[in-house]
Amino acid sequence: MSRSVGIIANPASGKDIRRLVAHGSVFDNNEKINIIRRVLLGLDALGIEQVLAMPDISGLARQAAEKANVSFPVALLDMPLKNSAVDSTWAAAMMAEAGVGCIVTLGGDGTNRAVAKGCGYVPLVPISTGTNNAFPVMVEGTLAGLAAAVVAQRIPGVREAGIRLARRLDVYRNGELIDFALVDVVAYAERFVASGAIWDPHKIRTVVLAHPRPGTIGASAIGGYLPQAAVNGKAGMWLELGDGGKRVLAPIAPGLITELSVKSYRTLKVGEQGVITIAPSVLALDGEREIPIKPDQRIEVRLSQNGPHVVDVTAALQAAGQKGVFIRANHI
Amino acid sequence: MALEKETLLNLYRNIVLIRTFEERVGEMYYEDKLPAFDIAAGPIPGEMHLYSGQEAVAAGVCAHLRPDDPVTSTHRPHGHLIAKGVDLNAMMAEIFGKKTGLCQGKGGHMHLFDPATHFGCGGIVGGGIPHAVGAALAIKKRHEDRVAVSFFGEGAANIGAFHESINLAAVWKLPVVFVVEDNLYAISVPKEASTSVRSNAERGAAYGIPAVQVDGQNAVAVYEAAKEAIDRARRGEGPSLIEAICYRFRGHFEGDAEGYLGADEKSTWKEKDPINILGAQLKEQGWLTDAEAEAIQAEMTRRVAAAETFARESPYPAPEEALENLFA
Repeated sequence: MSRSVGIIANPASGKDIRRLVAHGSVFDNNEKINIIRRVLLGLDALGIEQVLAMPDISGLARQAAEKANVSFPVALLDMPLKNSAVDSTWAAAMMAEAGVGCIVTLGGDGTNRAVAKGCGYVPLVPISTGTNNAFPVMVEGTLAGLAAAVVAQRIPGVREAGIRLARRLDVYRNGELIDFALVDVVAYAERFVASGAIWDPHKIRTVVLAHPRPGTIGASAIGGYLPQAAVNGKAGMWLELGDGGKRVLAPIAPGLITELSVKSYRTLKVGEQGVITIAPSVLALDGEREIPIKPDQRIEVRLSQNGPHVVDVTAALQAAGQKGVFIRANHI
Repeated sequence: MALEKETLLNLYRNIVLIRTFEERVGEMYYEDKLPAFDIAAGPIPGEMHLYSGQEAVAAGVCAHLRPDDPVTSTHRPHGHLIAKGVDLNAMMAEIFGKKTGLCQGKGGHMHLFDPATHFGCGGIVGGGIPHAVGAALAIKKRHEDRVAVSFFGEGAANIGAFHESINLAAVWKLPVVFVVEDNLYAISVPKEASTSVRSNAERGAAYGIPAVQVDGQNAVAVYEAAKEAIDRARRGEGPSLIEAICYRFRGHFEGDAEGYLGADEKSTWKEKDPINILGAQLKEQGWLTDAEAEAIQAEMTRRVAAAETFARESPYPAPEEALENLFA
């Protein structure tokens, strides 16, 4: 049992180019501070004794701790800041090393991908701070804090009911594992990472999905809306887009619902892989352009079950409720 | 939009030109001013605020502008004006205070006005923001397809003119793009000591206009975001805001002791030199060789040297011309 929880909040999320090319909302950092404050109050209500938080240039965790008036110390990790995704990875690794029982993240798909590189077996409560996300969920900070507390404290039955093991899409370049995505890998017909996001349907060529998801925004929706899609949750999908295929209407960014031509698609089981043949292009991982690929490189993507452990907030709270966690003694 | 070879090579040339210009001005500025610093002495009298380090922002935005698109700038204006396509000779001559300068030598480095490229700037922090909105209002009233752009720093985003301007631009749906160059310091004051929000992109949301944050050291990222913002304004879809996170390589002004910087701060940022970042991207694509990069540098050094010669050899305005072309 651990009475310690980690918090990683990305100050940069919620401001990318999808505010211009689609209709994404700006998610302001003052609201992130408010969410962290409610997370802290949720943790405090259930007896968490220490919180480790990632420091950041905007001082999100520090300001939240100042305002929250909780009974435990909020310790900022002593780590150098690069003001990039590396910070989240590093913080997650330090928290795992320190033995936190759960990590609450605030950010988008990219934030959670960075955290997943460092968190090991520590379960995540991913709070979405944006409108473009498939991995984290829109959940009230108070509930996220309560759920993180019951998970961290290993209330019997909570982990069994409230944690799932996420999948990963492992990316290999010339046989070497170089990166992974939690939701989708897209070969985007552009040469540069540039502003990061992907939005031009004509440049989306190969789409690999950990889960086809009709209930999310982004590339994962494309697979989710195909007939006979593997929506039973047991498989991922591999899609090739191009002229002359089946035309599918899908929401690829907030407010951006567009037709895409899917030439072929197949299910992708855990352990299966495929080769990306579109080069030059840029691989977008979880919606962010990350890796330029050249014609002389062999790029393979494999679906694996090596993703992070993720907390289902409702299921965890329900299991804790069954165990009487929220029942208090009557006052005499 | 494809990011084509020639487009990005032009971006690279522009960034190298701006850096070369600024570094040479930085050298010339100190002529005859030392050892006891005399701000009035030497060929370039007065204060000097150079743009080295932030070139990707000016180049990435102005790449989408036409000569007739109005631009307002700041006390650190050289990069914006060079990216807008100014005649370098006339610009350098103005910095030298010469009669052949853009303002016949009466403006100096902070007051560069160029009708040919529809450019103006000034030393009043945030002063250019309402001018750009005014220009955008004129454009809309005339049913033209021009776009106004205002460059300003994150410090200027705390003055009233910013808020009044962005509000009116939003209410009237004007063709203007606000470019906040967040170089982390207003003179020497760090943003967190002066600003209640962490990102000025958040202020776009407060006024109901799209706002994005980009890496201002990455020219391709700026170029891509600026294209969307400017195209959108040109289509009549209204204003937007781009917050570019960037860094001054030479401090606020020439002579800045920079005692307010953290240890290793500048050296860390210099690892993100926009010339190196774009150069590496172009080389990765096979679009630029080391020899070609050297040739571009040599060309820009020649161009700046030619502008310097022109400025040095040009006459000063005569004392009796002091009141010509002035209005008050």
